[in-house]
Amino acid sequence: MSHGTVMPVDGPATLEWSAKAQTEVTDILSRYPVKRSAVLPLLWLAQREWGWLSTAAMRRVADTIGLPESEVYGVATFYTMFNLQPVGRHHLQVCMTLSCSLMGADRLYKHLERKLGIGHGQTTSDGRFTLRKVECLAACGRGPCMQVGFDYHENLTEANVDALLEKLK
Amino acid sequence: MVKVTIDGRTVEVPAGTLVTDAARAAEVHVPIFCSHSKLPPLGACRICVVEVGTPKLGADRQPVIGADGQPEIAWMPKVQTGCTTPVSDGMHVRTASNVATKARKGVMEFLLVNHPLDCPVCDEGGECQLQDLAFAFGHDGSRMDEAKRTFDSEDLGPIVKKEANRCIVCMRCVRYCDEVMGENALTAHQRGVHTEISSFDRQPLACEQCGNCVEVCPVGALTALPYRFKARPWDLRQHITICEWCPNGCSVRLGVRGMEILRARGTEFRGVNQEYLCVRGRFGHEFVNAADRLTAPLLRTGAALQPSTADEATAFVAARLRDLAATHGPESIAFLGGEKLNVEEQYLLQKLARTVLGTPNLDARTRPAAAVAGDALLRATGGGRPGLTFDAITAANEVLVLFEDLQGEAPLAQAAVVRGFRQRGLHVTVAHARRVKLARAKFKGDWLGLRPGSELALTLALTKAALDLGVPAGVPGEVASALTSLQGSLASWTPERIEAETGVSGAAVAAAAKRMREAGRKALLFGRGVLEHAQAPQLLQAVENLAWALGAITAESSSVMAFGPHHDSAGALEMGLVPDTLPGFAPAPKRGLTAREALAAAAEGKVRALWIVADDLLVSAADRALVERALERCELVIVNEMFLTRTAARAHVVFPVAAFAEKEGSVLNSERRLQRSNRALSPRRGARADWEVLQAVARELGADWRYRTAEDVFREIARTVPGFAGLSYATLLPDGALLAGTPVAAQVKPVEWTAAAAGDGLWLLSGGTLFADGSLSSRSATLAKLAGAARVRVSPAEASRLGFAAGDLVELTGPAGAASYAVEIDDSVPAGAVFVPAPGAELNRLGVPTGGGLRVKARKATGAATVGA
Amino acid sequence: MSRGPLLFKDIDTPGLTGLDVYRKLGGYEAVTATLGKTGADQVIEVVKASGLRGRGGAGFPTGLKWSFVPKQSPKARYIVCNADESEPGTFKDRELMEKNPHLLIEGMILAGYAIGSHVGYIYLRGEFEYIQRIVDRAIAEARAAGLLGDDVAGSGYAFQLHTHLGAGAYICGEETALLSSLEGYRGQPRLKPPFPAVEGLYACPTVVNNSETLMTVPYIVRNGAAWYRQWGNEKSAGTKVFSVSGPVKRPGNYEVPLGYSMKQLIEQDCGGMRDGLKLKAVIPGGSSVPMLPAADLDTPLDYESMNAKGTFLGSGGVIVIDDRTCIVDALWNITRFYQHESCGKCTPCREGTYWMSEVLERLENGEGRDADIDLLADVADNILGKSFCALGDAAAMPVQGALKHFRAEFEHHVKHKTCLVNRRREEVAGVKA
Ligand SMILES: Cc1cc2nc3c(=O)[nH]c(=O)nc-3n(C[C@H](O)[C@H](O)[C@H](O)COP(=O)(O)O)c2cc1C
Ligand code: SF4
Ligand code: FES
Repeated sequence: MSHGTVMPVDGPATLEWSAKAQTEVTDILSRYPVKRSAVLPLLWLAQREWGWLSTAAMRRVADTIGLPESEVYGVATFYTMFNLQPVGRHHLQVCMTLSCSLMGADRLYKHLERKLGIGHGQTTSDGRFTLRKVECLAACGRGPCMQVGFDYHENLTEANVDALLEKLK
Repeated sequence: MVKVTIDGRTVEVPAGTLVTDAARAAEVHVPIFCSHSKLPPLGACRICVVEVGTPKLGADRQPVIGADGQPEIAWMPKVQTGCTTPVSDGMHVRTASNVATKARKGVMEFLLVNHPLDCPVCDEGGECQLQDLAFAFGHDGSRMDEAKRTFDSEDLGPIVKKEANRCIVCMRCVRYCDEVMGENALTAHQRGVHTEISSFDRQPLACEQCGNCVEVCPVGALTALPYRFKARPWDLRQHITICEWCPNGCSVRLGVRGMEILRARGTEFRGVNQEYLCVRGRFGHEFVNAADRLTAPLLRTGAALQPSTADEATAFVAARLRDLAATHGPESIAFLGGEKLNVEEQYLLQKLARTVLGTPNLDARTRPAAAVAGDALLRATGGGRPGLTFDAITAANEVLVLFEDLQGEAPLAQAAVVRGFRQRGLHVTVAHARRVKLARAKFKGDWLGLRPGSELALTLALTKAALDLGVPAGVPGEVASALTSLQGSLASWTPERIEAETGVSGAAVAAAAKRMREAGRKALLFGRGVLEHAQAPQLLQAVENLAWALGAITAESSSVMAFGPHHDSAGALEMGLVPDTLPGFAPAPKRGLTAREALAAAAEGKVRALWIVADDLLVSAADRALVERALERCELVIVNEMFLTRTAARAHVVFPVAAFAEKEGSVLNSERRLQRSNRALSPRRGARADWEVLQAVARELGADWRYRTAEDVFREIARTVPGFAGLSYATLLPDGALLAGTPVAAQVKPVEWTAAAAGDGLWLLSGGTLFADGSLSSRSATLAKLAGAARVRVSPAEASRLGFAAGDLVELTGPAGAASYAVEIDDSVPAGAVFVPAPGAELNRLGVPTGGGLRVKARKATGAATVGA
Repeated sequence: MSRGPLLFKDIDTPGLTGLDVYRKLGGYEAVTATLGKTGADQVIEVVKASGLRGRGGAGFPTGLKWSFVPKQSPKARYIVCNADESEPGTFKDRELMEKNPHLLIEGMILAGYAIGSHVGYIYLRGEFEYIQRIVDRAIAEARAAGLLGDDVAGSGYAFQLHTHLGAGAYICGEETALLSSLEGYRGQPRLKPPFPAVEGLYACPTVVNNSETLMTVPYIVRNGAAWYRQWGNEKSAGTKVFSVSGPVKRPGNYEVPLGYSMKQLIEQDCGGMRDGLKLKAVIPGGSSVPMLPAADLDTPLDYESMNAKGTFLGSGGVIVIDDRTCIVDALWNITRFYQHESCGKCTPCREGTYWMSEVLERLENGEGRDADIDLLADVADNILGKSFCALGDAAAMPVQGALKHFRAEFEHHVKHKTCLVNRRREEVAGVKA
């Protein structure tokens, strides 16, 4: 999420790691001499497990490491890639930084807004897309570009982006 | 020491001193926001930027001398933050050069970019460091007229109000909450210009509610809800006095308007606590303003207490005491209480008893079930040797806390331990049946979770383990030999037996003793858990043995600190408010009755007059039934009180007295630091300081007392009491004086041990908590709200075993009676026990603790709560 | 055809991400030839002699940095790869790691060996999740082949390597912020001194190096300092990868010797500007450095020449700005980036970046006032050198560069309430040449 006040969203009361996640937790903890280093990996794991970081998810991470939950919250909100609210099935993150902008990112982004009928940080009513402006993705040589989830899509045009959206059910 | 020159002024400071501190020494003002004396350098706010230069070195590594004969200075290309730059010898600093000034003005302007211009409605207004600086350095009129970034304001629980728009992100609050309080209730959300201080998910702060975050906030971002919009600082008279909530003796700065205390604050660079205050010190003063304060003496006529006058009441009391003494002898009179008085009053109280009336029956320690010798506590804490200070606790490598929940009984001491852990690598060992705060995993210490009732056993086991490492170095010869023979008497404490008796593994006990023995700097802390234990006499002796065995007391000094129940409990002992020692711990010519003995004698009609000073015996004494009988039977009951307490309501005469903030005097804290306690406002109408009440009666009895002020009394104390020689009110400012004197002889001797009777039922754990401690907490609205009604806390395991759920009404039945409370589930309580925070719970209805303590039966109650509900 | 003298020589070889192909091309020879045979100090000496300078932006001599690590220390020592590549205009590390992960692993092993570290971490920016999977696979391969683990290549030297994924924060590229982040804190910079080489990760001696820096090390160790110095010049030795972006015909990564002509890079290698466009300005070292006008196009691509022109080689992110682009608009875009990425720890950066983007927005939208240009310059000056870390400087320098070379465009905005080159970003279509 891009920065700006985040208001808490209601989520589940409590969450437990799945058996599979639990083995990953053990593996993650084994990589660091100091448990606290596992915060980011565990937040990532939680986001993968549950789609977004509800307070229950952050509590689970805090307990797993034995860290005050406030600290986990402070970390989670510092970084832009953690979703503190639920996001759509396809998270469109359009790079707006200079190199892409020089290549038409702004116009492309407007096109997406118009096409999906949503603005920055919003999700389509069918829960399919969340649209977001982001900063430089290190794809400057092939701008405009965007990440859908973690997948890079580069050299975008209005035409090929439309085709892409078609494929993303 | 190194020489550093700041704006032309050269000062000598210890190497490593920060430029900001050196500047203070040189009396040059370098502003700061984010840096704080109790927190490591941060360098975030940048307001302290200065120009820094060091002597230019030539090829020969020698300073290059310039034309003016002075060393040439190589100035750093960039400005530096003074709060993070340690001085070096020959360093030069410019705070007023064009470069430094422009940089600082720039930062100042940045701080105002998103800061609202709402000073007129900001509680910080008038004492806001940002406002002051803007005035001193800032531009006139901001060049920033774009829209400001805004946040919503927020109430973080009942204490803290947050206006994030005013926040300058100095992080003091967050770091203080973490590094000094160990609470981690606050954190920064988001980042950059959107950084906002709040709690996890914006929940109400689940913390000690100390309000120190408000205290350290240099702006109005965090303000105290209880004080919100009450006053402007310039309308307040500010008086620094000593907090009366616990024996730590923090300095509180009371803000008074008219006849009302509106707030309490700490004061940076002042007192043992500086800016720190716990929730009681900061918000507990409300009782002083309470509407139900007594405003006239009360005299009993028949069934009712009738308002009277000071003269009438004084005359009546003097007359009755005179003829009781005449007909039944002075020993038919006993004085109880006095730990809440200040030193001067305690001195006069014993003087009235001993010399004016001639009775040896006086005892300030009304709570313990079993009384100890008047000098026992002094001996256990080092016999008067130079002792432990709070700074020394923070600097300790190892701290051992015996049977005490510092959070409830000595909050400043707890903060000292927490900070030592967070900043100095201190390790803490907590011996307590409950998993109290300092015993939590977070503080990476060791918890000796002993079975309730086995306190004495564990103390003996620790002593054994310590002596297995040999007799510590630095103990006087006679103590050394005493320890050697003591070791023999402890031989039977094998690991197996330790485990069996205490539930703590022998290995854990041995390790704890070893850590203390080997620590270069150590601290042994204990308090009411020992002093009010049913086996107090043996336990306290065992603690003295242990202290010597651990090397916590040596010939030269002591690393032991004890916390009494009240802010001047130490003074009561020092002033001989005990039946067996006089002021200065000289043995009394004739031993009088202890509080308990006096009550028993009163119940039998042998003691006919009880003068109870600021002590609600019915609620606080161990044996309620005994108190009932004593009050029933006694011909003359005199009470000094601020309120019509249960006990006062049973008296024949009640003298309304002044609160701590309404009188002059001095008090002795747990460091044995004697501090001035100042009058912040005049006494409530009709009330007098206790010493004035005592003097009036003494004069009526013919004594030729002519004290005009408390200071007159103090002069007499300084003349007559050894430890006080050479002291005067002048010498007590600003930071008080640590009492020193020739140490009393150590007394290391075996303690006979008897296993606690294998009774059944649940152990009843009691004691003070942060929000409920002392009879006054219920009379302070904020504390009462935070504490809620008295509850019985049960471990989840025990609750499910007994079929209790949170909120259920449960009846506790002891040998003497029953009382019911609502259940609260609390995983810090051990199975096989229940914990009921003492004040207001009237546990003394249930019975008198014996042996290991008190055991009770618990079952779901049907009727309404009889206590606290 | 080969895309560069070393790092990019074989980069497009099919299957290079696999261990076999990498080894066929001489991969891990430096490791097998060095570990247990050459002393750690000698490795540091070679790297010193090679003149290799950090490719992450600061250009600090790599061998020298390594030599700051205390030789014997009771504490553990750590080698950390800065793979956070977040500097706008820079995308070299991404291609290098995506296509040649084993080269990075080999570089980490050698660096670790040189400073006596037994654990290394590769800190990847959060968006590089797919690269983490590629590198993790390579690490597993290397471990299976005994090139990582308790006994690297039978030398008795133990070295464990892990990847660590960031989560979206440019500041975590700053080495001390990276370490805070790796330790599980908010990614905010820490006081220096103590420098990481003395007190870094978990307060232990730590070396933080950029991916490209580390990937260059195996070549130097294998072929020697003199061989490496055949490229570049005295102060700027060897080759460097430049990421060229903007409306040129063939944007992308180019590995060239330091001192190479920027003019040639853009006009020949990249095929010059897209049809119908003229080059107006170029940012030579990532968006943090002051831009240069077209007139300075022939500045050699090395540290000293760039400094002489008042700018920096930085990370080698060459951003080409065409003549239809409004400089005020471009600067607003850059400044908005730094405002978004400011960690918020220190006042000048947190508030100053916000203030500057507010002023620039005003200017770009034709609501600027006469005083605004000087205000902008002064705010930038009040940030420069006053902020806690270099992010503040990174935000201030572009402003100063733009004002120095293109003040006229700013004045035009104030006077005529509109752009000199009349074009709104939204109108630029992403058509390819
Ligand atoms: C704001 C800021 C961002 C940075 N981002 C990066 C980055 O993304 N990648 C990188 O390698 N170095 C980055 N650096 C430089 C690092 O702080 C550090 O100098 C570098 O990683 C050292 O490695 P090197 O000596 O091999 O270049 C950044 C510095 C600053 C001040
Ligand atoms: S709330 Fe106050 S003390 Fe806390 S960070 Fe903000 S300005 Fe500093
Ligand atoms: S006081 Fe020095 S930077 Fe904040």
